[in-house]
Amino acid sequence: MGVKEIRIVRSGGYVVHVDICVEVSMECVKEVHKLYYATKKELSGFVEEVVPGVSSLAVYYDPRLTSSEQIESKIRDLWLWARNIELKDLYRPRKFTIPAAYGGDFGPDLQSVAGWAKLTEEEVVRIHTSRAYTVITLGFTPGFVYLGEVDPVIAAPRLETPRVRIPRGSVGIAGRMTGIYGLESPGGWRLIGRTPLTMFDPKKDPPIPISPGDQVEFKAIKPEEFDRLVGVFVGDYTA
Amino acid sequence: MGVPVSGALDRLSAVYANALVGNEPASPVIEVIGSLAVKFGVDTVVAVAGGYPRVFLNDVEVRPWNPIYCSRGSVLRVVPSGVGYVHYIAVSGGVVCDKVLGSASTYVRGGMGCLGRTLKYGDVLEIGLTDVVDVWGRVSDLKPPQQLVEIHSSIGKDALTLRATEGIHSSLLSDVDVLLRGEYVVSAESDRMGYRLEGESLGSAKGLGRLPSTPTDRGYVQVPPDGKPIVLMSDAQTTGGYAVALHVVPPDVDLLAQLSPGRRVRFKLVSIEEAEQEVRRYLDELEKPRLIREELEYWG
Repeated sequence: MGVKEIRIVRSGGYVVHVDICVEVSMECVKEVHKLYYATKKELSGFVEEVVPGVSSLAVYYDPRLTSSEQIESKIRDLWLWARNIELKDLYRPRKFTIPAAYGGDFGPDLQSVAGWAKLTEEEVVRIHTSRAYTVITLGFTPGFVYLGEVDPVIAAPRLETPRVRIPRGSVGIAGRMTGIYGLESPGGWRLIGRTPLTMFDPKKDPPIPISPGDQVEFKAIKPEEFDRLVGVFVGDYTA
Repeated sequence: MGVPVSGALDRLSAVYANALVGNEPASPVIEVIGSLAVKFGVDTVVAVAGGYPRVFLNDVEVRPWNPIYCSRGSVLRVVPSGVGYVHYIAVSGGVVCDKVLGSASTYVRGGMGCLGRTLKYGDVLEIGLTDVVDVWGRVSDLKPPQQLVEIHSSIGKDALTLRATEGIHSSLLSDVDVLLRGEYVVSAESDRMGYRLEGESLGSAKGLGRLPSTPTDRGYVQVPPDGKPIVLMSDAQTTGGYAVALHVVPPDVDLLAQLSPGRRVRFKLVSIEEAEQEVRRYLDELEKPRLIREELEYWG
């Protein structure tokens, strides 16, 4: 099923929310990214900020400079225009490799994911590291990276009860998404590993070099290598 | 990239505290929930705004929402009075903080901004250099709009009306009007991320389950599957997977911040046009607070 119609909801007097699809899919994510980069590029003078979600986009505007009606009609025009172009015409995605130590204390849920998948832990790791993922969006907490799409074989659901504290750098799985916790935070994803890289550094500009649409690959590393790489900024790491 | 806007829970009060001491509206201030005593190492001008706490300068009671001259060595104490919840202490010259992402706000969960944590006994803060005598000459007869002070000095007595537009998922929640009917009580489990409300829950939220993560913002009224609304505040997550029933207009989020647990609110639905009008007025006031010069009692 293709993405045809967008649904626009205006709220609060300063937000135009654009729903691009109901069901999350990588096809939909691509449309979100196209509209995200098109809006950023074409409406930069009009809007304060554009934030992508998993299947939607929020556009923040200053009602002293424009109105939600005006934003809405511009977004509808952009949507029609973006239908006929490729994402690469708007944004050139970058590639990142994320080293991660899997299992044990690094990934306390690797065992439960393996159990869910009826595979060994090694097989789960091999499957997780065997494809490049698209950055769906960043958000939730600083530096949290949403990635898709996980092989259905290892797409274990999130935990029933979220953890209160997850160490920064943790790599988790939640259904068809995998993600990295940039900072220590609460969360309910199944943790299979952890990267030693600093994913988010507020002293850097930008604090995280990863953008929606970029590609991320994971590389399994040994605990010794983990220790050696602690503190390396994600933007400075080369595999 | 997932960083909350952070900053003051009640922005307008923080801006007025700054304006009353001659600072730029967005200068760093100290946000106080509970009591705080500050000793000044230099002569300075301070103002306390937000709610209506009791304020003492060297044990003499002084008024909030008013510029106060503090000599070197004096002690300013802010003590809750039960009226309002978050109070702002602005100091002429502003609190000096390293900026993170262009902001001096502390985001405690992220350990970011200024000290990266809440203040504790014995902390020493640096303040910006100003010509105190000159500042005092310019601000000593300034006062905020009477109406604003009246709202803050009686806040929480009656149920606060929060004006809100429909939210992103209003159309998915069949019983969103439940929110508009009764009163809700601010729960003790509220924090800088969100104010949780107790009251009639929304049954329809249960069937919705988890939605695709959407961008969220301050003022969003999220309804998790338990049906109990949460109004997102300044340190809220930037994306969320719960249904958003309503969106409280920004100036009313400031007022909500002033309610301590146990205080009551009700929601009132407004149109987008009305909300835009409120946002325009609010942004203007944040940029240019409307201070009044106290009328002189004699002429000449």
